[in-house]
Amino acid sequence: MAKTEEKTVPPVTLVDPIELSELDRDFREEIHNMPNGEELGACFACSTCTAACPIANSWDYKPHQLIRMILLGMREKVLASDEIWLCLTCFECQERCPQNVRVTDILFDCKNLAAEEGRIPPNVAELGKELVEQGQLYVITADWEREDLGLEPSLPGLQTEGVQNMLKESRTGRLLEEED
Amino acid sequence: MSDPVLVIGAGVAGLTVAVELADSGVETVLVDRETSVGGNALNLYKAFPTDDCFYCFESNRSRPGIRKCFYRSALLDQPNIDLRVDTEIEEIKGEPGSFEIRLKQGPQYVDSKKCTMCGACTKLSDAFSLLSPQCQPQSVIFNPEKEDEGSSKAEEECPTGAIDLNAESSETTLTASDIVIATGYQEMKPNQVDEYGYGQYSNVITQLELAKILDPNGPSHGALVRPSDGAQVRRLLMVQCVGSRDENYHPFCSKICCVFALKHANIIRRERNGTDVSVVYMDIRTYDRHERYYREAREAGVEFTRGRVSEVNPLEDGTLDITLYDSLLDKYFKTNVDLLVLSSALEPSTGMTKMIEELGLESASGYVSPANLLDTEVVAGDHVYACGGAIGPAEVPESVTQARAVASKILQERMR
Repeated sequence: MAKTEEKTVPPVTLVDPIELSELDRDFREEIHNMPNGEELGACFACSTCTAACPIANSWDYKPHQLIRMILLGMREKVLASDEIWLCLTCFECQERCPQNVRVTDILFDCKNLAAEEGRIPPNVAELGKELVEQGQLYVITADWEREDLGLEPSLPGLQTEGVQNMLKESRTGRLLEEED
Repeated sequence: MSDPVLVIGAGVAGLTVAVELADSGVETVLVDRETSVGGNALNLYKAFPTDDCFYCFESNRSRPGIRKCFYRSALLDQPNIDLRVDTEIEEIKGEPGSFEIRLKQGPQYVDSKKCTMCGACTKLSDAFSLLSPQCQPQSVIFNPEKEDEGSSKAEEECPTGAIDLNAESSETTLTASDIVIATGYQEMKPNQVDEYGYGQYSNVITQLELAKILDPNGPSHGALVRPSDGAQVRRLLMVQCVGSRDENYHPFCSKICCVFALKHANIIRRERNGTDVSVVYMDIRTYDRHERYYREAREAGVEFTRGRVSEVNPLEDGTLDITLYDSLLDKYFKTNVDLLVLSSALEPSTGMTKMIEELGLESASGYVSPANLLDTEVVAGDHVYACGGAIGPAEVPESVTQARAVASKILQERMR
């Protein structure tokens, strides 16, 4: 009897899919257990958040996609993304979410997780340092505008040492020190 | 005395019409081609929206002296109902108000009035079986294709003499004043939708087949196992809109598949520990009050992917490699599952086209269309009514409501 070789070859595709089992399936739980993640799972991907976002047009990952990526466990992609730092924190997405997902707050949680892993964008780190060192972001200097308005050269009674000390002792100080 | 009302189909809708009419003193002939009443609901395990056994929807309504289930007891004890199972409609003639109907009943090998379901025959021969513990009439059935040496012995030894292996099919004609079409829907077998491999791979099944696996009365006693080898299912993927909302198969939305898919997903997540469930969908359509199933599913950790399946590849260990496209992320994902469950379209029962033609009715995508779209949906023609799945996929409470509307219409007509 002649030998017949029956081969079942899967059809060739040009698709290079992401293997779901290689994603971090615990990431969803991690965010869910953070202070703002309670309603994370309620997201049904209507993309109201993206519709509300004033700047998502320039983002590679839109807000609803970031939430979807969190649910899927794409930890690396989310925490390394620029988008979580570009968020204006205007809270429009969170205000409009029909399922009460705290989108903006969840992006804060993501920023905190990213920062703990030392992934703070240089410009944000720079601002942080300014805050720790000066106790304020915008230092008031004596200039002609204040003079024209009849204001004193510096803000009377402004004390920033307390803020500086607090920030140094808190997580902000620790993270920025690690950053150096 | 008027002619009886013919009710075709003894599912939820047909049973309700028959019982309501019979209780109002109207003689009813209730016909079903299956050997048990119940229709699709017999295989549903739990039916939404109450997640109850469907038989009990009406059972808490008081019927003096009867403490058993409402419909089942009514079928046995209500003298106005003439129940004929294993019976098909051969021909419908005559005028509206006095239809002449020719019925063909299959051979009644087991007399259901005598059968006590003692199980003696099922031990002697594989040809005898009990369809379901809930079957009605309560009787074993005989399959002549499986007849063996034990069959005749079972016939001789049946303690109540209920078995007659020489039984033959019979034809009867009757005159009916009204016809109620309650033939329901059936689940499409999605063999044609070849990207899923239904019919080729045994671990690709439909939602109704999943319901049977989850049923504690089923072959696996409710354990979620793979059909191929009985191994525990650890990952399961559901695909919505298979053959429905698809111009190549059925253009309409089957309406209830999202809800029963979510019902199954929730049962699996909450009662079959350790099984992951994902749902691939185009839209989730949980109409009306059923949105809670969707919300509960998300809370229970069911994963949802808006997109479609690219391809299914069976592996040697019985699992399936599945590539799917997520249209929200515009990315392709690959996953490995034990069971692929297709939410297949719900289509009109076989024979519906012929019946619509014979009665001169309007068709809506194969289902019975209302005679007057502005009036009630249950009036299909002169002295012809339709309810439940015969006018489109429907949930149990809808079918019951429509069935009662039919009963009401017939009673009003008779009182003129």
